[in-house]
Amino acid sequence: MGKSRISNNIRQLRFFHDEMTQQELAEKAGVTRQTIIAMEQEKYSPSLELAFRIALVFGVPLEEVFSFEPDDDPR
Amino acid sequence: MSFQEKNFTASLSTFTLILGYYLIRLFQLIQGGNFNSTSVVRLWGFVIGFAIIGTILVTIFTHILSAITQVIKTGDEDPKIEDTQDERDQIIDLRGNKVTYTVSSIGVFLSMLTFAFGQPPLVMFSLLIFFGVFAQIVGDISRLILYRRGF
Repeated sequence: MGKSRISNNIRQLRFFHDEMTQQELAEKAGVTRQTIIAMEQEKYSPSLELAFRIALVFGVPLEEVFSFEPDDDPR
Repeated sequence: MSFQEKNFTASLSTFTLILGYYLIRLFQLIQGGNFNSTSVVRLWGFVIGFAIIGTILVTIFTHILSAITQVIKTGDEDPKIEDTQDERDQIIDLRGNKVTYTVSSIGVFLSMLTFAFGQPPLVMFSLLIFFGVFAQIVGDISRLILYRRGF
């Protein structure tokens, strides 16, 4: 629970795409605005499909939207 | 607060009231010496009836309240309420169901355990009803926590 290890640049990308609102992004990605808010606050890691849909909305590769921070503790 | 969160908050409030009413009536029956099968089954009927009707009314009320709030906020006469479940809502709902089933299962086990201690079936029955409603409350609380804190 709490912050996920997947971080994202959704807020910056929205700003640079004609200051897209969370609601607009939510409608284009097929989710609710609350889900977009949760992702921007890194309280929710999207499914692979949703991650790809968001990247498609911004027209950028997946890696430019999301990044993964591995654990420090190697198993 | 999203529509789903409002729904679960309303459900939590409803079931908390139902549980409170059930416990008060149960203690009244015990103290009044009327703890018998007829009274307990009647009380069970009220609880189940209130739970079903309460859930329906709460859903309707939440829809109406959300629409009114949306009209006031946006000024749009045909407001769009996000009452559909997306993937995050579905995951939270499933995790909440898991919590509900776990608490419910523990409740069934504890209720059955009363037999081992020589208690009459009425005690088991009463505990089953209590844990059924309590499990729903715990499930709703877990859903709200997941919405607030994330996962």
